[in-house]
Formats: sequence, structure tokens, C-alpha cells
Amino acid sequence: MAVLSFAVDPSKLSLQNSVLTLAQLECTPSADDGLPTALEQELRALGCEFIQSAGSLLRLPQVAMATAQVLLQRYYYTASLKLASILDIAMGAVFLAAKVEEQQCRVKDIVNVFCWLIDTYRGITTRVETYAIGARFNELKEGMAAGEMRILCKLGFNVQVQQPHGFMINYMQSLDLAENEELAQTAWNYLNDGLRTHIYVCYQPSTIAGAAIYLAARMHGVKLPTAPPWWEVFDIELTDMEDIAGHLVALYSRTPSTGLPLTLDELERYVDQIEAQERLASATLKP
Amino acid sequence: MASAADKYIRLEKLGEGTYATVYKGKAVNTGEILALKEINLDVEEGAPSTAIREISLMKELRHPNIVRLHDVIHTEKTLTLVFEFMDQDLKKYMDTLNTQGMIEPQRAKWFMFQLLRGIAFCHDNRVLHRDLKPQNLLINQKLELKLGDFGLARAFGIPVNTFSNEVVTLWYRAPDVLLGSRNYSTSIDIWSAGCIFAEMYSGKPLFPGKTNEDQLQKIFKLLGTPNEQIWPRMSELPEFRADWPRHLRQHLQTRVPALDYTGIDLLGRMLMYDPTQRISAKDALQHVFFNDITMPHPGLHGPYPHSIPSPAMTPQRHNGVAAVNAANTAAYMNQLQQQQQQQQQIAVQQQLQQPTPHVLLQQQQLLQQQQAFQNQQVLQAQAQVLQQQQQALQQQIHAQQQQQAFMMNGRGAGSLQDAAMSMDAAQQGGMGGQGYMG
Repeated sequence: MAVLSFAVDPSKLSLQNSVLTLAQLECTPSADDGLPTALEQELRALGCEFIQSAGSLLRLPQVAMATAQVLLQRYYYTASLKLASILDIAMGAVFLAAKVEEQQCRVKDIVNVFCWLIDTYRGITTRVETYAIGARFNELKEGMAAGEMRILCKLGFNVQVQQPHGFMINYMQSLDLAENEELAQTAWNYLNDGLRTHIYVCYQPSTIAGAAIYLAARMHGVKLPTAPPWWEVFDIELTDMEDIAGHLVALYSRTPSTGLPLTLDELERYVDQIEAQERLASATLKP
Repeated sequence: MASAADKYIRLEKLGEGTYATVYKGKAVNTGEILALKEINLDVEEGAPSTAIREISLMKELRHPNIVRLHDVIHTEKTLTLVFEFMDQDLKKYMDTLNTQGMIEPQRAKWFMFQLLRGIAFCHDNRVLHRDLKPQNLLINQKLELKLGDFGLARAFGIPVNTFSNEVVTLWYRAPDVLLGSRNYSTSIDIWSAGCIFAEMYSGKPLFPGKTNEDQLQKIFKLLGTPNEQIWPRMSELPEFRADWPRHLRQHLQTRVPALDYTGIDLLGRMLMYDPTQRISAKDALQHVFFNDITMPHPGLHGPYPHSIPSPAMTPQRHNGVAAVNAANTAAYMNQLQQQQQQQQQIAVQQQLQQPTPHVLLQQQQLLQQQQAFQNQQVLQAQAQVLQQQQQALQQQIHAQQQQQAFMMNGRGAGSLQDAAMSMDAAQQGGMGGQGYMG
């Protein structure tokens, strides 16, 4: 029986996004559990990719997909990947985000969409009409419900997410950039792709919005006011923007690996394999 | 591991709602009396979205006029929300009064003040309640009023997202929502509060509609059928129809005779058709109506408060009531508006210097200071003799106006009201459920 009690700092309201400390960022529960950092990053990104694809297929608005991805990122800073599979949490996050953002979303549809996504990821082609039946359906559905409850408990029901999209539009309008559709689209893409990184758990949405504009303007060679620097008007630190931009740029140089473990069993075998390979490598290196 | 049963003892059942059961409970450690709201978890649908919203928002909202969520206990099959205990909800309280639901004016004003303070705090923290009604306002022996049931509440940010328009019990639903608007904001709660305001002073719901259309017609019959002039862009709303029957606006005082002139003015500002023109909770708290706010005699079941001397009952105020014509009314309205603007400016200045005090005493002092400061300003501005004369005239009108209002106050539950009351009595019971309920 899981029991949850929460204690919140009464002096501070946290409907604002909670932001992690450096120590929390560096030592995740999964790393504590002996999981390689690179693997964790890839699994997080994969979970977010699943959410984004599932959201598009379910025709959810971007705000729901963004909320779901932030919930997934937040969750794995409170619990290890070895405790709940990336699949369960990704599904649970979609399920939960749809409720938080008031979107009608049927359980059956989420399960079916994930079913298809998993098969596609594994390179299996299955007939669409056979999805929603049998043990596999129930297994996925239960995993989703459990995932939702895990997120709720671990985050202490702190599931309200403030998104940077609105800030970005406001900022662009006040910078007279609203007419530049290309620039706006690039910045918008940065915001959505950035969900796969940890920037949403490190920075407030206004800072992230500023960074997306900063990077997009550089990419398109658009000059922004420097006297006074435009970011100061919005109360954003240049160093923060540069840090976020760095993470965003790094995202695009990453080559996604295939065959990542989706379930807990798969993860265990995957980690065993990595360890065996490492042992082999160190053995051959030794004289 | 501890379960709900280890930390809290369940006492009698308080009520049952669509998705939850509420029990009176006791904390094992402290002996404190609490309300336990038990929600059954559905295997198919997971955690109910109402519960998710309620917990995620309420645990962050700590304010004397918002029911406190102390704890959440999660087991395999249930979710138990542990709230502070309140004696009853406002609906039940009004039902038990021997005045046909009418709350004594001074007490109603105190409730209204607290309601607006709770709403202002929510809105300040970007939370819309979206389901304000007497059943969701909880009161206790100390005459504290607190907002409960945040099952439909929502956090809002920028931009305002498209929300569901299936919010707020019909009777308290704002016309913009009835017309299908999905980008409503804080003004939606103000409309509900206005309806509750009238209900406390009259003892009956202001707009007890049966269907969406009936609800709109009830509103139109009192406030007049709206048009583009008083509500710009209303014709763009999904449910707008050009062939509504034309009703003329009635004076609000005919429906809420117990409310004095300043109260009617505030009510009118809360029940504006155009959501952008509806007064904010923060501004409503600064309205002259609350200038004489005092905490009434505590105790829900104490002597009926007519025995408490109120300013309305002092004899000299009843002398020399004269008819006030329309021109005088306009002059008074101007003065009222002027006063309000000045007061708001001062309030903003003062708020910059010091945080908003929650204690009533401090509030009162603030209001007194504002009054003094404002009087001084008025005097300075109107130094010329001619203007002084004018002012004297206006003050006279003001006095007359108030006298008239107080006279109506005194007559209170007159025949006008009885007639209307019997009309609506049948519809009152329909929307039960305790305030903790979903």
C-alpha cells in the first residue's frame, strides 16, 4: 500500500514551476541506481519523443504534450528508471496531462496509439484492427494507470506546469518580431524540442522563452536591440540564455540510438549487456 | 506504513457526492477535528481529474478564507483528502434561518467581504475557482467563511487557454459562459459572487434557471437584454442569437430590497454583461460598500442579529426622508465614482509600501486612513465657494439617498419579496451536496 503525505514550504506558493538545484541535477535517482548517465538521457529523450508522437496522433494540443513531457522529466528526478519503465511513465504522463489540460482523451485511444508507437519503434508491423484486445491491451492499460499514480505521488500532486509558449509570443510581439514567421516558427520549435532536455526543470518559462528567441534570432541573423540589451527588459540573464541555447544546439547534434529498452525487463538485460561489454573491454585492454 | 485509518479516525458521515464521500474525522495524534473526503479510484479512468485539480491547486492556496487541505492519503483503491473542519455550508445555513433565508445585512456584508478576499487571493495566484455557489462556501461558529471544493478550479497563465464551458452550476454561471465563451477569466468567479451576494440579502437565488436558455432569459429579464453597445463583440459568441425577446433593465433594488444603495452599486458592477467591465475582486474589496465593515456578533446560532445595533437602525437617520429625483441620483453616482477612483489610487500606493494585511483590524485602519486622506483631497480640490456649495448639495443628496436605502432596509422582508419568494421556493432544493463535494 503506497502512502503519500506531502510537506510544502508554507512561505512559498509553488504553482510556479519548481526548479531543481545543481546537486539534484547531477545526481539523479537513476544514476544513484547505477544507470549510466548517457543511457538515462537517451531514455528520457525517447520517452518525450513517444509523448510528442502520441500527442500528435491523438490530436492533443501542444500544451498537453508539453505538460506531459515536463511531468516525465520531473518524475525521473524523484525516482529511478529501474522502478518504473519509461513506457509506463510516458503513457501515464499523457493520461495525466490530458486531464490537467482539460482535454478529452479516451483510455483506449492512448493505449492503441502507444501500441502502434512501440511496434513501429521495434520495427514490427501489426494490423491496426487487432490492437485493442487481449492481454497486451490490459497490460499496457494497467501500466498507464500505475504510471499516472506514480507521477502523482512522487510529485505530490504538483502537476500544474507553466509553459513558456505564451511568454515567447508576448516577447516577440514587444520586440516587433511577430511578423517574422520563419523566426517565430524556429523559436517555437526550439521550445518544443527543448522539452527533451532538462531545461524545463532548471529554468523558469520566461527564461526559456527568451533563450528560444535568442537562439532563433542568431540562426536567422536577426539583430535584436542591444542598448539596453533586450533580455534585460524581460528580466532574463544572458548567461542563462546561453546555457539553454547550448543544450538546445547539443540536442540537434545527437544521433538517437535504436533498440533502447522500453520495459523494466528489457532495461535490466540492456544494462547487463553494457556491463558485460565494459568488462570485456577492460579485460582486453589489460596486458 | 501508515494508512488513513492509522492517522485519522473516521466519525460520522457528512455527505455524499458524485465521486466522493465526506466524513467527519479526528486526527489520532492531535485530536483535531477534520473533514475526510474519500474518493474511490476508478480502475478504468485512473485518478479523477477533479481530484487532481483540487489537490494540486488547494495544497498551494493557504489563506484564511480558503478551506485548508492538510493532507492527502493515497491507498490502492482510495484517495483521502484531509481538510480543516467547517460547521456547515452557506446554503444549509441560509435554509436554517427563520428569515426565509435572508441573512442579517451586517453579517451578510461580513460574509461577502470574506468571500471576495478568498477570490482575490485565488486570482492573485492565477487560480480560477469556476464553481462558486453557496454550497461550496463553508462557514463555522466564528463566522469565518471559506471557499471549498476546488474540483472544477483551474490554474491560468498566459495565454488564456481555451477552457471547458461546462463549468459553474447553472444558477451562478456568467452570461459569457452561457453564450459559449471559452476564453473566460477571473470575471467568471465575480459573476458567481454577485449572484451569491444578492442571494444572501434576499434569501433566494437571483437567477434560478432550469436550462441554459431559461437561465439566460432570467438574467435578461432583470438586467435587460444585452446588445453590442453595452457588451461589445457579444454577437461573436457561439450561442448568440439576434432574435432574443427585448427586455428592459429592472432596478436591482426591486430584487434585493435589503441591500443599501452602495451595495446595489457594487452588485451592479459585479453583474456587468461585458466580462472586461466586471469589477475585480481586489477592487470590489475597496468599494465604499465595505467602508463600514465590522465583524458581527460571533456564533452561528446566537441571538438573531437584529438585536445588534447597526448604523441603519439609529433614529436620526430616519428623519426627513425626501424623494430623490433622477438628476440627484446621477450626481451621487458621479461622486461615488470619484471617491472610488481616488480610493483605488491610494490603495495602490499603500499596497506598494506594505503587503496587503489579512487581519480585519488592519484592513479597517487602512480604510479609515484612506477615508481621511481622501476627504482632505476632496476639500482641497473644491476650494472655491461655488464648488463648496455644490458639494454641500451633493452631501445632502447623499444623505437623502442613504436614508432612502436604509428605509427600504428597515422594511426588509416586505410584500414584494414574499411574492417573489414563493415563486422560486420550489426550485431551491435542486442542487444539494455538501461543500466539500465534487
